[in-house]
Amino acid sequence: MTDFHVHLAVLVCLNVVIVSGLALISRTGQLSLGHGAFVGIAAYAAVLAHMKAGWPFWLSALGGIAAAALVALVLGWVILRLRGVYFVLVTFAFAELVRLALLDWSALTGGANGIAGIPPATLFGVAFDTKARFLVLALGVAAASAFFLKRLATTPTGHAYDAVSENPALAEASGLNVHRLQLQAFVIGCAIAGLGGVLLAHYVGFVSPESFNTTLSINVIVMLVIGGRQSVWGPLIGAAILTPLPELLRGAVQTQHIFYGAALILILHFMPGGLASLPGRFAKGR
Amino acid sequence: MDLSLLIGQAVVNGLVVGLLYLLMAVGFTLVFGVMRIVNFAHAEFYMLGAFVTFICVTRFELPFLPSVALTLVIAVLVGWVIEWAVLKPFRHDELNGMIATIGLAMILQNGALMLFGPDPQSMPSVATGVLRLGDLLVPNSRVYVVLCSAAVLLAMWLFLRYSRTGRALRAVVQDIEIAQIQGIKARLIYPLGFGLGVGLAAVAGGLMAPLFSVSPFIGAGPMLKAFIVVILGGLGSIPGAALASLLLGITESVAGTFLSTSTADILIFALVIGMLVVRPSGLLGRPE
Repeated sequence: MTDFHVHLAVLVCLNVVIVSGLALISRTGQLSLGHGAFVGIAAYAAVLAHMKAGWPFWLSALGGIAAAALVALVLGWVILRLRGVYFVLVTFAFAELVRLALLDWSALTGGANGIAGIPPATLFGVAFDTKARFLVLALGVAAASAFFLKRLATTPTGHAYDAVSENPALAEASGLNVHRLQLQAFVIGCAIAGLGGVLLAHYVGFVSPESFNTTLSINVIVMLVIGGRQSVWGPLIGAAILTPLPELLRGAVQTQHIFYGAALILILHFMPGGLASLPGRFAKGR
Repeated sequence: MDLSLLIGQAVVNGLVVGLLYLLMAVGFTLVFGVMRIVNFAHAEFYMLGAFVTFICVTRFELPFLPSVALTLVIAVLVGWVIEWAVLKPFRHDELNGMIATIGLAMILQNGALMLFGPDPQSMPSVATGVLRLGDLLVPNSRVYVVLCSAAVLLAMWLFLRYSRTGRALRAVVQDIEIAQIQGIKARLIYPLGFGLGVGLAAVAGGLMAPLFSVSPFIGAGPMLKAFIVVILGGLGSIPGAALASLLLGITESVAGTFLSTSTADILIFALVIGMLVVRPSGLLGRPE
């Protein structure tokens, strides 16, 4: 494995984490177009706590994740009473608000220049300062988040999420608190996105408002939909297939995005369950 | 310049952008009303409209107004075809339809990037001179664009209000099943509604092309504002969109005169999210 392959593997793992967060939100029938903003909120909060306030890595990471969760709680409480489409529009507008605020608040965030020279993550005295070492950390976290999703799917909470997404009115009528379940999923999903953001910031060593713009939010959606929204394998498959593509198609960014767009539409048309539904289709004996 | 004049000038400038937002928002809300799809490719139709008008004027040397009219015709046809070819399975499927338009937006924007390149281009102004309103100064090019935008909106309103097809469209917005029982052909109404919606976006792009520069990225700004407008005004409500567009255009322009533009934007976003706490369905939207 060359350095470049290790680098790609790290990015795949981090994307698995971020997409898993969105998968959880999507399980309750909501789609967030501001997922990238929560990755960014956690990344910035953790980096500032680490570099300006001198918190150790583990504490600043927790702080960053808590910041994303807290913002999700406040925003979600307000907007989850809205119907699905409003929710999407507001998350989109909110992400733009976050981007503008990061740009505008340059005394703290460095504005458009961002923050460079972020030190590598350090846990229990081990510095994850090479790509290979970081891969171990990223693999662990990606596995943990995938395992979390898989376990959750079989718990009563997981079933309740599915019920809410299938038919909110019916779920409400059978005694489920739809608003609370959706809020819970939104907060946890954003916290998981935050975990991905904190790791990403310390891996790349640099954050800027443009690292967390709409493009990131949309890429996360593309990965989730192409991988498969309903399956716990969806985030894994989507991240594993779509993360290396930009590197393979380097120098042809436009072609790559046209390909993404077309793939998105074709998958929605012919395979609403995403690539994760392929094995099931063959197993049905066709 | 004294304060009242400064505010007056800001209000006049705000009316111009307010009309731009209104053109975008009416098209957007029309598509949503008919198809229940949030069209994320709306910005790209604005951008393509600007390019079509730009090409008609600079390459084929057509006069401005016929170029805009041609842009409208092309956009309605293209919208019709796209609805039929891409969006048909997603009618009334809010979530998947919206994701499909995200894919569409990616294809259109990057296609434009390949065709036209990333650099902003500018086209000749449509009118010279300045209109004096008391102490206020308005460039004639802006007056011209404002009058054209208002004419397009008026025509659209008359069409939706009085024509048979317009009434059929509104019936579908109200209740698709009852509309079909009354003999309205959904297979014609859907592509027409989508075509008209994106046609309005394209006309907005064409009309604004002489005032701003033209590039594959110009759609994002007006699109975001159209989002804000429909959230503020109530999704699917055209009067709500009108009220919200003018409010937003003027607030933005006045706030931008005294604060920085980005601070004004942040303020507006915060206000809109705050308003949702009080009225979740927007100013004039109907609660569902």
